[in-house]
Amino acid sequence: MGEPKPHPLRVLVVEDEALIALELECLLDDLGYVIVGIAGSSQEAIALGRETHPDVALVDIHLVDGPTGVAVAEALSADPRTTVVFMTANAKRIPEDFAGAVGVIAKPYSERVVAGALRYVAACRAGHVGSLDGLDGFCLAARHAERMHH
Amino acid sequence: MIARARPLEGTIDPGVTFAAAFEGSPTPMVLVDARRSDHPIVWANVAFLTLTGYDWDDVAGRNCRLLQGPMTDPETVARISAAIAAGACFEAELVNYRKDGSWFWNGLTLSPVRDANGVVTHYYSAQADMTGKHKLEAAMTHANADLGRRVAEQTADLRAALEQKTALLHEVDHRVKNNLQVISSLMLLKARRTPEGEARNALNGMADRIGALSTVHRMLYSAGDVTRFDFREFADDFVGDLVAGIDGERMAVNASIDSMAVSAAMAAPLALMLHELATNAVRHAFPGDRPGRVSIKARRCDGALRMVVEDDGIGLSAGPPNPSGFGRSLVEMVVRQLRGTLTWSETAPGTRVEISVPLDAVSLSDGPADPADKAS
Repeated sequence: MGEPKPHPLRVLVVEDEALIALELECLLDDLGYVIVGIAGSSQEAIALGRETHPDVALVDIHLVDGPTGVAVAEALSADPRTTVVFMTANAKRIPEDFAGAVGVIAKPYSERVVAGALRYVAACRAGHVGSLDGLDGFCLAARHAERMHH
Repeated sequence: MIARARPLEGTIDPGVTFAAAFEGSPTPMVLVDARRSDHPIVWANVAFLTLTGYDWDDVAGRNCRLLQGPMTDPETVARISAAIAAGACFEAELVNYRKDGSWFWNGLTLSPVRDANGVVTHYYSAQADMTGKHKLEAAMTHANADLGRRVAEQTADLRAALEQKTALLHEVDHRVKNNLQVISSLMLLKARRTPEGEARNALNGMADRIGALSTVHRMLYSAGDVTRFDFREFADDFVGDLVAGIDGERMAVNASIDSMAVSAAMAAPLALMLHELATNAVRHAFPGDRPGRVSIKARRCDGALRMVVEDDGIGLSAGPPNPSGFGRSLVEMVVRQLRGTLTWSETAPGTRVEISVPLDAVSLSDGPADPADKAS
């Protein structure tokens, strides 16, 4: 957690539950990431995505305007600069193609799993092979898991 | 193809005897003359007249088609005519009409009557009222269709109820998970804003406990079986969390947990129990820079879950009495709730906790028996 990062990942949090968003913000800050914004609705999320081009977007499925997280993931992952990770207690809502997301962090999450998932994403973005050892609460999208094995 | 009739035994007039026998038979019978045009009725018994409601004068000399009416199947009539033309036997069921206009299902047999030269002279027919049978058949068909419809309706109802139940379960599951997440976030947020010290430790400790319960909940509903979960799966995840938070150089945590199904009812207390015992050992057995190891063993034995948590730390009596107090009484409460037994012992150095908890019927059902069970 303490390793120095020349360019810390810039993270967009898409979460309508203020308490969860706030705590997540503190956690990400502790882990050395930069939060570019917090969005509670799909419009806000997509607008913030266009504005900030985040490296990573953590996306809940249920937002203020309904189960619109899937559409948000589709829109955000259309930008090749952004890696989308779902973060939800409702993984059954995720479509088979994961709407462009690389995986899902199950809620309720432990801070360790969030840290591990982000470490994995950072490694992949840097062209390394990330490790998923002991990360029970983080599942990869099928096509992404396949790529790992090649 | 004419079977020779056997002569009657004794000295009686066959004509008179047969006429008397047929006349008195309860089976409706009729005889028509095949040699005369339009095959007029030349004889009918009382049973025939009773069935059709006609008097003898009504039917004498008439063709049998006087029994036909609007609901009589013309195809069956055509087949009867064809059989008669060919001089063949025939059986059919068709709708006939009585004198009063009421109808009945007539099950009839037709057979030619031949003279000594084999020429067809008459046609003989016996009838039976099949209306009851047809009504029964119709009722059966109706009842079957009705039954089929009701089964289909009930199946659809059940399927809808099941879908509703599944949707409800998902919704409740989602809400519980989300609420646990909010509670956990709330605790952690408050902890972050609390100065280092006892209060902050207590808040972090509560967040940890909520985390353990959250892990149980996640595993209970993800495996598809909402009634049981695998204790080892939980323990692996929990130990992973525990190890991530300690100095690996100084402390080692060794877990050896058998895979065993545990009922949903027992899952949360057991998870809390493991959490308290392991966390206590890691937090309090090794003050300062004291190195050490913690070992967690759990197996299924004689229908019970046996768990031993050992450390080679400073021991119960040497530690400050306060910090482990809450954790320890939590464990005692949970073990009592599960009707188990608990032994604390000083192993100098260290502490050993032995717990035995009887597994309930849901935990034991269909579960893979462990080798110890099989051996006994």
